[in-house]
Amino acid sequence: MKSMYPKNGRVIFHVDCNAFYCSCEIARDPSLEGKAVVVAGDPKERRGIVLAANYIAKNDFGIYTTMPLWEAKKKCPHLVILKPDFDLYREMSTKVFNFLATFSPILEPASIDEGYLDITDCYSLGSPLEIAHQIQKGLLETLKIPVSIGIAPNKFLAKMASDMKKPLGITVLRKRDVPKVLWQLPVQSMHGIGEKTAEKLKGIGVFTIGELAKTEKGVLKDLLGIKGVYLQERANGIDHRPVDPEAVLKWKTIGNSTTLSHNVTEEHTLIEVLRRLSDSVSSRMKRKRVVSSTLQITIRYANFQTVTRSKTWLNPFQEQEEIFRYAVQLLKQHWNGDPVRLLGITALDVLDKKESTKQLDLFSFEEDAKDEPLLNAIEQLKRKFGEGIIQPVSELLHKEKSLKEKIRLRYDTKQKKKDGESM
Amino acid sequence: MKIVIERDALVQSVQDVMKAVSSRTTIPILTGIKIVATQQGVTLTGSDSDISIESFIPAEEEEKIIVDVVQPGSVVLQARFFSEIVKKLPQPTVEIEVQSQFLTFIRSGKAEFSLNGLDPEEYPRLPQIEEENVFKLPTDLLKNMIRQTVFAVSTSETRPILTGVNWRVENGELICTATDSHRLALRKAKIETESEQSYNVVIPGKSLNELSKILDDSNELVDIVITANQVLFKTKHLLFFSRLLDGNYPDTSRLIPTDSKTDVVVNTKEFLQVIDRASLLAREGRNNVVKLTTLQDGMIEISSISPEIGKVTEEIQSESIEGEELKISFSAKYMIDALKALDGTEIKISFTGAMRPFLLRPLHDDSMLQLILPVRTY
Repeated sequence: MKSMYPKNGRVIFHVDCNAFYCSCEIARDPSLEGKAVVVAGDPKERRGIVLAANYIAKNDFGIYTTMPLWEAKKKCPHLVILKPDFDLYREMSTKVFNFLATFSPILEPASIDEGYLDITDCYSLGSPLEIAHQIQKGLLETLKIPVSIGIAPNKFLAKMASDMKKPLGITVLRKRDVPKVLWQLPVQSMHGIGEKTAEKLKGIGVFTIGELAKTEKGVLKDLLGIKGVYLQERANGIDHRPVDPEAVLKWKTIGNSTTLSHNVTEEHTLIEVLRRLSDSVSSRMKRKRVVSSTLQITIRYANFQTVTRSKTWLNPFQEQEEIFRYAVQLLKQHWNGDPVRLLGITALDVLDKKESTKQLDLFSFEEDAKDEPLLNAIEQLKRKFGEGIIQPVSELLHKEKSLKEKIRLRYDTKQKKKDGESM
Repeated sequence: MKIVIERDALVQSVQDVMKAVSSRTTIPILTGIKIVATQQGVTLTGSDSDISIESFIPAEEEEKIIVDVVQPGSVVLQARFFSEIVKKLPQPTVEIEVQSQFLTFIRSGKAEFSLNGLDPEEYPRLPQIEEENVFKLPTDLLKNMIRQTVFAVSTSETRPILTGVNWRVENGELICTATDSHRLALRKAKIETESEQSYNVVIPGKSLNELSKILDDSNELVDIVITANQVLFKTKHLLFFSRLLDGNYPDTSRLIPTDSKTDVVVNTKEFLQVIDRASLLAREGRNNVVKLTTLQDGMIEISSISPEIGKVTEEIQSESIEGEELKISFSAKYMIDALKALDGTEIKISFTGAMRPFLLRPLHDDSMLQLILPVRTY
């Protein structure tokens, strides 16, 4: 069976659940099978929109995600409309990943309904195609969840492949197929290129993946920074990212550290460094839409002795001013006055802002209460157009800024680990 | 100084004054207990300079001799050793004799300890308090008022004034308020007083906790004297002094909502148990949040989700729900604290919106209230 596997390459699966929310609903209530089903903001709400549609609704009635519900109903009067039940979807998601994990431990959940699986060493289970069929059949039979699977030598191609045939597709995409299969596609269809990046690429006359593949690396680097280099590689079918089971856990901390150009003993200079670091930590937290309640500072002295000190606050933070204030507080409390050669700030145990909570304060709750009418309005928009339709301008702006920050400040995970150990 | 004293009376007194003795003090002599013997009896004093406690053991009480003062005098003994020694003495009577250089012998039965004492002249004097404006409260009521408020003080030093309980005396009424800015506890009571004097002071939460521990559950009156920077609680044989906190207590009266949009009446005990169950899964460190949702027909749903652990929902029948529908999240801990502090089998909870403070009160009693700030979810 080993002969079916590449001699010195990898075999990566991208497993993508088809119309996941609808599939979960149908799995729970088999009587829905064979019917056109959508999950929509709130069925009672007249202005609701379609959040997810199953393939019958899509193919037979032309209903698509974000379509206004009244229009969907017009197209299909007997349409089954369900309210989203995110708890159910999360539960199902866990079951899907547990099932996938029985094939290979190298499993990286990428979102609630898709994940990467590295089966390079799974030749004892069968050929890659056989394993893909086993997974597809298994998930359909045991959980009633249909999936499409992309098989490729890396994550990017696997992801592109799984998209090609839905539902219940299995698509193999080899590196040598890239020019023929991918190059004529517009750049937006590439995973990792959003509207903004596509716009920028258009500016330099790059419209298709093929054109991107043939563009000078330097040009792309100037245009998009380091991301441009990665995108060009991907367009050529190259992607070295490992399937990382820890990826989900990875951003449980977000930190930046910087080695100072000379050893510093002036407090005001250190505080200035903290200001810069807190700015970049805050940007990254905002970009990932996470918050944290625990801040840690790292101080490495001239003699390489390193201390890390942290403190947990009642409410989560994300704003630069808060991070800066907390970091300064920690510095003042723990710096022994010796010359410092490196400073770092890390937000520990970060969590999704949506999962976070804030204990309101008697003397400041009015500020949050002020948001109440706005939040109610946002809530309605989300119900109408789906999550992510609306987000604070500050978050969008920070996305811009953070790339520059990344280059200015070094973020070195290995460094940080060392610091932690020497505590 | 030489006395012969009932061991149990001595142990009790030592235990009381020990509440004020701290092993970490900047004034070394305060690690000791001051003992003063006069013909009237023996006075013990302990202090950490924030709290000072004086306990008096009368020479005789109810025609029973408790102390035989052979020779009046005084000494300061190391609290740590003295308190342990008296607890473990073999006989019901103890003889304490101070010789030269404050070397002190403690004898009971065939046991004899000698302790190096300190010069009582070096012990700081307790604050002198003019007992002009006294007001009185029964001991058990005072203890209740402390219990119902002190838990809500802040434990963080970011706003030191909030680590104390605000005591306001006006129009023959005492109003105790405590808040850590996330919840607030308030308790009112009529006081017995002949003066018209009004006060607005802040007593450290720690002082009130210690006071509560040494008061018994009788309904005997406690005399309370408030001065510019001290408060004195006086019972028959006990003086309890506490420093007051500096600074102005925030005006919380305007923060307590007067109107409401949703009023819920529940059985206190039942509701407490539901919250307690729901909080089993609420994540530690993440504010311990539970969610309350009003349903049809007077039902209330209490739920809590911890993605990694699981979730819980429970419905409870309320006595009544009036007003708008509501979904609100709050700390289970604050709710449990508040419910435990309130007397009354039924409580009324008044909400004014998911991001505004809500009130808990016993149904037919406006002498106490608890206020909780909700938790904002995203």
